[in-house]
Amino acid sequence: MSGLPVANGRETVGEVWRLSRGYRLRLAATGVLGILSTGVDLVVPWAIGFLVDRVQAGTADLATVLTVTVVMALAAVLGSAGTALTIVLATRVYHAVLAALRERLVGHAMTLPQHLVERAGTGDLISRSSDDVTAVADAAPAVIPVLTVTAFTIVVSLGGLAALEWPYAAAFAVVLPVYVLAVRWYLRTGPGVYRAERTAMSARAQQILESQRGHATVLGFGLAERRHRAVMTDSWRVARQSLRARTVLSMLNGRLNLGECLSLAAVLVVGFVLVDHGASTVGGATTAMLLVLRLLGPVNQLLLVVDTLQSALASLSRMIGVVITIPFDAPGAQTASTAVRLDGISFRYGEGPRVLDDVTLDIPSGQHVAVVGVSGAGKTTLAGVVAGTHLPEAGTVTRPGRTAMITQEVHVFAGSLRDNLTLAAPAATDHDLLAALEAAGAASILDRLDTQVGAGGQPLTDAQAQQLALARLLLTDADLVILDEATAEAGSAYAGQLDRAADAVLAGRTAVVVAHRLSQAAACDRILVMEHGRIIEAGTHEELVDAGGVYAGLWTAWEAAQP
Amino acid sequence: MRNAARDPAGLGRGPLTRRLPVLLLDPAEPPAARPFPSGPGITSGRFLLRVIFSVRRVSVPAMLLSIVWQVGESAVPVVMGLAIDRALATGDAGQLVLWIGVLVALYTALTSAARISLRLTAYAVQVVQHRLRATLSTGVLHPVGGAARAPDGRVVSVMTNDVARLSNAVILTIIPVSRITAIVFIAASLLATHWLLGLVVLLGAPAAVWTMGLLSERLSRDTREYQELLAATVGQATDLVAGYRVIKGMRAEAEAGDRYRRASQETLASARRNAGLLGRFLVGSGVVSGTFVAGVLGLAGWFAVDGRLSIGGLITAVGLTQALLPQIQAIASTSIPNLAGARAASARVLDLLRDSATPTAGPDDATPREVAALPELDVVVPTVSGPGARIRVGPGEFVGVRADDPTAARVVEALLDPHAGGGVETRLDGIAARELSPADYRSRVTVAPHRTTLFSGTLRDNLAVTAAATERIDAAVRAAACDDFATDLDAPVGEGGNRLSGGQRQRVALARALASDAPVLVLHDPTTAVDSVTEHTIAGRLRGVRAGRSTLLIASAPALLAACDRVVELPDSMGAR
Repeated sequence: MSGLPVANGRETVGEVWRLSRGYRLRLAATGVLGILSTGVDLVVPWAIGFLVDRVQAGTADLATVLTVTVVMALAAVLGSAGTALTIVLATRVYHAVLAALRERLVGHAMTLPQHLVERAGTGDLISRSSDDVTAVADAAPAVIPVLTVTAFTIVVSLGGLAALEWPYAAAFAVVLPVYVLAVRWYLRTGPGVYRAERTAMSARAQQILESQRGHATVLGFGLAERRHRAVMTDSWRVARQSLRARTVLSMLNGRLNLGECLSLAAVLVVGFVLVDHGASTVGGATTAMLLVLRLLGPVNQLLLVVDTLQSALASLSRMIGVVITIPFDAPGAQTASTAVRLDGISFRYGEGPRVLDDVTLDIPSGQHVAVVGVSGAGKTTLAGVVAGTHLPEAGTVTRPGRTAMITQEVHVFAGSLRDNLTLAAPAATDHDLLAALEAAGAASILDRLDTQVGAGGQPLTDAQAQQLALARLLLTDADLVILDEATAEAGSAYAGQLDRAADAVLAGRTAVVVAHRLSQAAACDRILVMEHGRIIEAGTHEELVDAGGVYAGLWTAWEAAQP
Repeated sequence: MRNAARDPAGLGRGPLTRRLPVLLLDPAEPPAARPFPSGPGITSGRFLLRVIFSVRRVSVPAMLLSIVWQVGESAVPVVMGLAIDRALATGDAGQLVLWIGVLVALYTALTSAARISLRLTAYAVQVVQHRLRATLSTGVLHPVGGAARAPDGRVVSVMTNDVARLSNAVILTIIPVSRITAIVFIAASLLATHWLLGLVVLLGAPAAVWTMGLLSERLSRDTREYQELLAATVGQATDLVAGYRVIKGMRAEAEAGDRYRRASQETLASARRNAGLLGRFLVGSGVVSGTFVAGVLGLAGWFAVDGRLSIGGLITAVGLTQALLPQIQAIASTSIPNLAGARAASARVLDLLRDSATPTAGPDDATPREVAALPELDVVVPTVSGPGARIRVGPGEFVGVRADDPTAARVVEALLDPHAGGGVETRLDGIAARELSPADYRSRVTVAPHRTTLFSGTLRDNLAVTAAATERIDAAVRAAACDDFATDLDAPVGEGGNRLSGGQRQRVALARALASDAPVLVLHDPTTAVDSVTEHTIAGRLRGVRAGRSTLLIASAPALLAACDRVVELPDSMGAR
């Protein structure tokens, strides 16, 4: 199974650069503001060092103290205002770019060739449009201060140290390998541990969700005790992974403490030598100590978000991987006519056996064709090739431009019933919607256009979900309609009703119906019987029954079972 | 893990340390998790207190070690100040070595304390999370006896997010306590240099924390709002992509994209507002803490000019004040939002526990009722007018019921939970099921509902839920016509069985029901997603696999009903209550 592509570094940078159009000037201004604000922050340690020197020299008076205090307070106010503004501006641009990206992602995902998505599995696309979007959004509070303020603080503080007396900065550089080793160790160990923690968490959430959704099964089979144990086992598995993750964090903390201790000791040694040689004052050493203390916070902060930064980048390249995939239309030619033509079609899933074997088929405008056969005969695949979902290995397809299909999968979207219907026809009025529901036999949900359905809303029964899907299909202006077992899910009590609704949907359109209920097949203009990827019988219901072949056998068995 | 053999703990440690034991790395067994009491009289505040003080044996040592850690952190600038004063100002090399030694000793102490404290804290939080989950699992998700009413969707978010938020409150008894101790330590040290400096810090620090806390609470409330919006937008993307085939089928790609764009823009607006509030918090806390520190330092400078403070005292004061800032900021920006979040979560957890509290099901008197191992089942469905209908399943009988959907649903609900209302009366050997203990009832009657749920795991995991023997499972797999795809019973079925098609899921669910050795089995429309040829096959095999036990089959499929001993027809519209 080949997944969707992941963007490489250049593609990621290129796409982010494109998305940042319109924000670039603001970003540049933000950068300048960030450097200025961190520069202002340096005033405080400098002022303290100045005060210490004046007091030691005995040249300080009340006015000096007052001036220094006011300068420190002003610097604090200006510095924090500048820093705050920098972070606000950067955060807003970050979110604007992310919003543009996620909208492109979801919009683009809808236009991707379906066979590509089918091959990768919708799960991959779901995780890119949900987990990855969340990961990048959640990284903002950690990543933005680091990219704007913290990085500058480190650079500016180091610059300040060097400006004070260059050996102070050199002393700090000596400690650098400790930090480099710590980061390398953390990047090697951290991500795997965090990934394991997240995997355990989603398994736990899934267990809880299954117990909740499967409540009736749990009750009916008396599984409460067993399910409780399953949930608790997964709960403790998460606890164990979380403890591992916190252990790694505490080990990183220890390494950072080692770096701190060495930095401070180095400053003391350098300061001692400098003061001894008269190259620095005690006030200067105090400033250096304050600068290093001020530097340690940001350095720790930077190291602590390295893995967040890394996983956000990974998520970003997965999102961009979808956006840069070239979409293309369903394979096959489109005609102005409403007829369908398949010529020498063969199909296989990946490297598997042939599912369709040299199928040729002509469906004149307005004809309704039923496809019948046992499981695995290739009925659903044939429907997919007609609809353009599947790219045939050999052969050509010609179909009308406006094609609509109902698959076995009935998805009710989260939102109101109206939202579910207008998805197919955004301009439809309530009157149209009600008419479509009525024709689809959905009398039981007629008065509930505003009811929230789907995930988190009121559950619809299988039959109601089918009726909704049929009503949706009615609202489209498709010339070709493909029904793949659209009425299979409902109990027999509703089957007749759904058959009538399907008739309303098919009226006046060319149709391919994959039917398990033979009553549905019998109502079509022509019936194809499939076996091992080939069409083995074709004709009207009467013709096939008279011919006494496979279809005639199925029909006899089916009729015998009817009341 | 590539280096599992060389690095047993998987922590990427070097050759010298990799064999050292790691405290609390991953305890294999959870501690006993008694449920938290949630009865009447417990307010959400009291519930919160009970929760955070429930692991004192772990949290108290963690707190003490955390004090060593935080006070140690605050002592670093003091030691540095003293070193500058004693060694640099005097040029005494012996003093330099001494003070570097003190610095190293200080770091050794604080980093060891931090390491153990962090792990104890994490352990305490996880133990509380686990215990809260046990409470909700037995109280809400899997109550003893059980009720037909399903727990609502809240249970998932409460058992994941709210439990985590509430458990984080345990940290409140550890970290903030140690931070406050550190602030007191700083104030006491300043008190020693000059009483007025200490007093200013003792009075000023709480005021600064309080002011910044106000700002941060507003921010974190808004952040939660923003995160909910983001989650909703992400949820919409998931929903749209999950319905991808439907959207493609309808050619509704453009409309779906438009809808997502609207939700995304709403989230963006919220993110922008949230950034603004973050800015306000940053300015506010920067101004409060910056002017506070400037004030204290100015005061110290004045005393130094005055001669009331030595130059060493001034440097120490500078260092101490410097250490004050991170403590104040950390309390304001993490502990206060933590408390606010935990209080809200506590209320939600307690609400859910209260809503689901069911009066203990079962007989009031303790007299054991005699029910045969294979009892006779009687179901009486009353109607508004007329005597109603009666379904009787004798021992070993295979009885079909034909009913319209609402009526069938009502009968199944009553069989699932005899305590459910609805007027349908269920009896075993003439004894009302309501009078039996839930355990007695469920050991006799197993109900396979129409809406099938498979659980993550393998096919075998799903089939063996009732601990059936292998040959029984094989017979059930054959009877439910799963033999075409269920060749490898150890193949995973995916989340909720999503690796199987709808028809396959339904057949596995049927096989699961048949594999259970239930004396009385109730099946409800078990083959609606199965094609008619396969349905016919199944109908022919059902009776054989249920031989010697009783079966009640509620179905509308003629092929299935034709296979029953007899069929009870329920008149339409008996679903009305």
